[in-house]
Amino acid sequence: MSYSELQVTSNFSFLRGASHPEELVEQAAKWGYTAIALTDRNSFAGLVRAHVAAKKQGIRFIPACRLDLMDGPSLLAYPTDREAYGRLSTLLTTGNLRAEKGLCHLYKTDVYTYSQGIKFIVVPPDKLTDTFQLDPTFVRHVEEYREAFGQELYLGATRTYQGDDAKMLFRLEQLGRRLTVPMVALGDVHYHDPSRRELQDILTCIREKCTIHTAGFRLHPNAERYLKPIDEMRRLFRQYPEAIRYTEEIAAACHFSLDNLQYVYPEELTSEGRTPQEELVQLTWKGAEEKLGEDDLKKFSQNIADELAFIERKNYASYFLTVHDYVRFAREKGILCQGRGSAANSVVCYCLGITSVSPAKTKLLFARFMSDARDEPPDIDVDFEHERREEVIQYIYEKYGRERAAIVATVTQERTKGALRDVGKAMGLSMDALARLSNTIGSHWDDLLDVKRFAEQGFNPQDPHFRKILELAEQLKGFPRQLGQHTGGFVITQGKLHELCPIMNARMEDRTCLEWNKDDLEALGFLKVDVLGLGMLTCLRKAFDLVKQHYHKELSLGNIPQDDTEVYEMISHADTLGVFQIESRAQMSMLPRLRPKDFYDLVIEVAIVRPGPIQGDMVHPYLRRRNEEEPVDYPSEEIEGILERTLGVPLFQEQAMEIAIVAAGFTPAEADELRRSMATFKAKGEVSRFRKKMVDGMVAKGYTEDFASRVFRQLEGFGSYGFPESHAASFALLVYDSCWLKCHYPEVFAAALLNSQPMGFYQPAQIIIDARKHGVTVLPADINHSQWDYTLEAQPGERCALRLGFRQIKGLGEEDMHLLVQARGSGYTSIISLVDVGISLTAMEKLADADAFCSLGFDRRQALWEVSALADRPIALFEGQPSASLREEQIALPLMPHGEQVLQDYAATSLSLKAHPVSFLREKLNLLHVVPTGQLSTLKNGMFVKVCGLITVRQRPATSKGVLFITIEDETGFANLVVWQDLFDRYRREILQSKLLLVEGQLQIEGEVIHVVVKRCFNLNGLLRGLAATGEEDRVNDIFYKGRNFK
Amino acid sequence: MKKHFVSIWFPYLTTDWLSIRRPALRQVPFVFAAPIHGRMLITAVNPLAKTQGVSTGMVVADAKAFVPGLEVFNDRPQLAIKLLKAIGFWCIRYTPIVALDGMDGLILDSSGCTHLWGGESTYLNMLKVRLKENGYHVQLALANTIGAAWAMARFTKESLILENDKQRKVLLTLPPAALRLEADTVRRLHKLGLKTIGSFMGMPQSVLRRRFGEELSLRLRQAFGQEEEFISPLKPLVPYEERLPCLEPICTATGIETALQRLLETLCKRLNGEGKGLREAVLTSHRVDGKILRISICTSKASAHIPHLFKLFALQIPKIEPELGIELFVLEALKVEKADSDQETLWAGTARLENKELSELLDRLTGKTGNCTICRYLPDEHYWPERATRQASFIGEQPNTVWPNDKPRPTRLLATPEPIEVTAPIPDYPPMVFRYKGAVHPVKKADGPERIEREWWIDAGEHRDYYAVEDDQGRRYWLFRSGHYEDGHPQRWYIHGFFA
Repeated sequence: MSYSELQVTSNFSFLRGASHPEELVEQAAKWGYTAIALTDRNSFAGLVRAHVAAKKQGIRFIPACRLDLMDGPSLLAYPTDREAYGRLSTLLTTGNLRAEKGLCHLYKTDVYTYSQGIKFIVVPPDKLTDTFQLDPTFVRHVEEYREAFGQELYLGATRTYQGDDAKMLFRLEQLGRRLTVPMVALGDVHYHDPSRRELQDILTCIREKCTIHTAGFRLHPNAERYLKPIDEMRRLFRQYPEAIRYTEEIAAACHFSLDNLQYVYPEELTSEGRTPQEELVQLTWKGAEEKLGEDDLKKFSQNIADELAFIERKNYASYFLTVHDYVRFAREKGILCQGRGSAANSVVCYCLGITSVSPAKTKLLFARFMSDARDEPPDIDVDFEHERREEVIQYIYEKYGRERAAIVATVTQERTKGALRDVGKAMGLSMDALARLSNTIGSHWDDLLDVKRFAEQGFNPQDPHFRKILELAEQLKGFPRQLGQHTGGFVITQGKLHELCPIMNARMEDRTCLEWNKDDLEALGFLKVDVLGLGMLTCLRKAFDLVKQHYHKELSLGNIPQDDTEVYEMISHADTLGVFQIESRAQMSMLPRLRPKDFYDLVIEVAIVRPGPIQGDMVHPYLRRRNEEEPVDYPSEEIEGILERTLGVPLFQEQAMEIAIVAAGFTPAEADELRRSMATFKAKGEVSRFRKKMVDGMVAKGYTEDFASRVFRQLEGFGSYGFPESHAASFALLVYDSCWLKCHYPEVFAAALLNSQPMGFYQPAQIIIDARKHGVTVLPADINHSQWDYTLEAQPGERCALRLGFRQIKGLGEEDMHLLVQARGSGYTSIISLVDVGISLTAMEKLADADAFCSLGFDRRQALWEVSALADRPIALFEGQPSASLREEQIALPLMPHGEQVLQDYAATSLSLKAHPVSFLREKLNLLHVVPTGQLSTLKNGMFVKVCGLITVRQRPATSKGVLFITIEDETGFANLVVWQDLFDRYRREILQSKLLLVEGQLQIEGEVIHVVVKRCFNLNGLLRGLAATGEEDRVNDIFYKGRNFK
Repeated sequence: MKKHFVSIWFPYLTTDWLSIRRPALRQVPFVFAAPIHGRMLITAVNPLAKTQGVSTGMVVADAKAFVPGLEVFNDRPQLAIKLLKAIGFWCIRYTPIVALDGMDGLILDSSGCTHLWGGESTYLNMLKVRLKENGYHVQLALANTIGAAWAMARFTKESLILENDKQRKVLLTLPPAALRLEADTVRRLHKLGLKTIGSFMGMPQSVLRRRFGEELSLRLRQAFGQEEEFISPLKPLVPYEERLPCLEPICTATGIETALQRLLETLCKRLNGEGKGLREAVLTSHRVDGKILRISICTSKASAHIPHLFKLFALQIPKIEPELGIELFVLEALKVEKADSDQETLWAGTARLENKELSELLDRLTGKTGNCTICRYLPDEHYWPERATRQASFIGEQPNTVWPNDKPRPTRLLATPEPIEVTAPIPDYPPMVFRYKGAVHPVKKADGPERIEREWWIDAGEHRDYYAVEDDQGRRYWLFRSGHYEDGHPQRWYIHGFFA
């Protein structure tokens, strides 16, 4: 006689179950179960994972759930067919939408409404009454359920070793016989193995917000809630063999599988009764005529026809139509957007308007990304301006309705740090110890558990209690903690979405999302569309608006002049601060070596400075070949076809995969599986198996082992930080556009960038310095001239000047400043008039601090002096009378020295237009033989130099093996420092604490790329303090930016 | 008499205190920190940490980033005040008027005291040396006004100026912060470029008051002695101690009783007045030959009830051997707690825990038989039977959980389970017969198993399967088997209790 486990709680019942669905299914398969159900509390979130695992293990999976009701005993629900599954999903949706995120409020009557076709098991009570009876309310409820569900109702029975098991089973059986409700055996499984009980106790503590020492009876008394072998279950229910048999009856009745779910696209995508394919064909050709010139149309008509035929074969027409639909909406609303992803570079996408740049320009052909061989769903991510993406999202909800469109979920997982913290807290560590524990993985630079650091923080790694914490944290790592919403993935269906998967409220207002994440959807073959936000698009739109307003030119993503040599010249000199993607340190030091000349060079530039090519050691061979220091050769002809455009060096994800297929004999599906297995880090063993297969396959075909393992290494790198060619190409478009703006309209670009902050690597101060270097006049913030945003002001000459916006002044509210601007009229003439408008005194003081009263003739001190007297101004009856301060004698305030002015500018606005702080220290620095950064290029390679400046960025990329890159800034420019790991350990304090850093090191000059390899570091914060007035020195530390830390 | 004051500043008060208790810490940079808005902020630093750039208000994580060896201790919010008070009381030997000054300083009114130590400068020196000897970093100054002394202690190297003119001159060169102003005012003065007291001293009062409020001008007047400042002196703590010197040495028990009675009367009068009662007290008898005899009592509930306390002592009076006679009795309450004053009850109470007679009876029994023979047990939230109860620390203690009554538990639980020999079917069926202390008990009825797992965070080991069984005589026992049944290993069975 067989047995199926029907009550299984996985860790998708957050903080209750202590095993992953996969673990439970695997254990069930090991015990020889033929079927297993998953009954998480009011949730379907774990179903797909269990379903996939069960398929792999070859056992049957029953999708189900446990309904925790507000007004009755819990029920386990098992849908028998597709319709019943839809009803159960709808039921959960009803409960979800009624409650706030993460909760589900269900009542008995709801269940009665949707009960058809579902089998139910009543969850038995925990204990009997004092007189060893079942609780009468429970009995009443079972009677009521019997009435409602009839033959579909069963009574659950569990043996938990509570001492009264025998009595409990007897009473349940008695009740079941009386009401003719069969008793069925349940395991109440919470974990796959008894050893997980400790973790389950910890989860209970986290849930109940207590420690293991105070949890008391909230824990389970024993470890019996594990998945038991079938024989053991039979033994436990030996007196009631029927109870075991009924599990089989239920399992047999539930013939619904998640595989039965059919995904159907919405219908309203087509018009005039056309099929999706017909509609797509019509739209494409219509677009082609409008967008392509006659020549191009001829040239590309075959491509278009091929692509359309391919889309028809794959039945992807609806997918393209969906994307086309909301892109069209965004265009109408003037929201900038751009598609990327494997399918986005097709001519069809261009004709549909999903991408703006003609494929003729990019030479990227669809066939390269999509082929019949690769069975991968099409992927079009569309980026929108990040500030206006919500409009697109609400459009989708409105058009398809909340019943048919929802955002995909993301499962938030426990990270190392969080897991350690949660476990530590539950184990009763003090706040202080917890903080220290977090410190062991504190900085975002180290992720792994490092025994040395534990010891440093005063923990004894040998202590058993502490070891237990580490062990449990390790187990907890990767557990789902909550369901969040995906950044922009949507699922849109024809039928009601809630019949496919329960829908829940998201934390954000007006959002609803699914319970499944993108992996789950992919496993079931649902297609999602991505609506993403991109800061650079916001910046570009703002720039286009400014150009239109001040220079009367209509610019858009599609009409920026391409192939501008001036732009490429600028890029080649690494003059790319603030532009898209190629503004980072690593990118900037690559640009002068690569010297991009055309668009495809930019594509390569974007893709090459990535962990994949760097780890695969592809960068230097490529550079050597490009600079003709090394001959370009190909291991074979078939590979030449793949690697031709990158000079024989694989740089893109597709290339590595194609090589696996062509040269190592992988099937396309295998190649794809290979990429996935690397992306998820899950199957460590799998990777080495693939490695062998790949290297052996290639060696067998006559390639060198060195080449083979190099390709494999690169594939490894791509797995985690993949950058396929199509993505790189889409990004390169934005790179070019932002560079073009920076090159031709530096003031517009700076204003747009500053108004889109925070964004990118650089602080406003650096953006301003860079703009001035490009000849932009920058004007200070002023109450009579500034707006909230940065603005452009016409001035004599060709170019506009850039005016600082109030947004740059710390501590000012946007509302307050809008009020100020609105009431400005022809300009303020006195300080009092601002108060009359309703500007608060604190805001006035901030404005005075920022020296924004210059147009009234006050410097910051005078302004502050006047503002501080305002609290005392005549009000009510005396309003309008001259203030007493007018009558008081003039007091001469001490004049502020220049250096302090700059310091105060930094304090109020994080930047100064008057001078660079370091310029005041130059004399002292000269005595120390410090070289201004601007002069570094005139020195010789290999010289020892001293440089000094404010730290702007510290960056320690994952691929740099502990090497830290620092950028410092002085009044003459930037210097790039390289700090090796051991040196960082030695000078940790100086590097992390300094605002003003002096370093001694060796100059490395390679063409235009200049580095200083640091040998010694000194903290010169003391000199900065000298700029401040006496008594204010301590504030200096807060005034200058901390330097941003990047990974 | 001319007034003058000493201001003592302890820049490292709390960290010094910890270094005194743990000298090893002198070589280590360390800080106190407290969670504020979810971040650990540093509240105090020691000198070593300060020289390495750590300062108060920093986030611990930041400080640790550049001082990896930094030790962090939990901040004790009341510590500074407690220490200041203690040091303040100690200072009373130098002047009767000592006051707390913020969280890190003391003000001493030294007027008319300094000549006792040979003048102001030796007085100041003495204070400084003595405090330093104790292990505290101090900076102190003596001046004509509190404000001036405060400013000089913190902002100048000079520590003693009494001439008004010179004092004024020094003050004028100091930054505004020396005036004990709000941080906001100080910041604003700096922004205006008014960086010394002298730079705004000359401005009209009305101009200053309009911009900086009453505070600034008040502080100015106080510092320059134009307005008197008052301090609230600490009062010394009086210990709960009563002394009774005897004109004639006492040799008899009656004499001792009389002395005890009188001492109790005065002590209890004070306790009653303060709404307190004693939990522990000791009576010390100083004998003529120099020997000291002690008897002590303790109560289970704070009490100031003279007859009761007297009775408790009386039980022990025979232990006192007066020999040649006792010349001094000292009664000291070692532990005093807040006591709820007894209200006259209208109806005689039943035997409840609050009942005074009951607790007094317990005290007497305890006094007679020695401590710890009578305990009260409370439920504790543990499944493991040995830990499911705990001893109450005093009679009226309230349980923090209810007695669980959903599982059968024996009336009498053995402190340690005793091994028994058992015949039982495997794997987890109740025994059929067991032998305990030689007697064989055939099992007629049984219930179970109730499986109780070890509390893994306390100890490791095997779980227990408990059975409630009844033998042929109708006696019921609580038995358990330790661990799972395993092939080849004898099963270990124990008896753990008896049902009524």
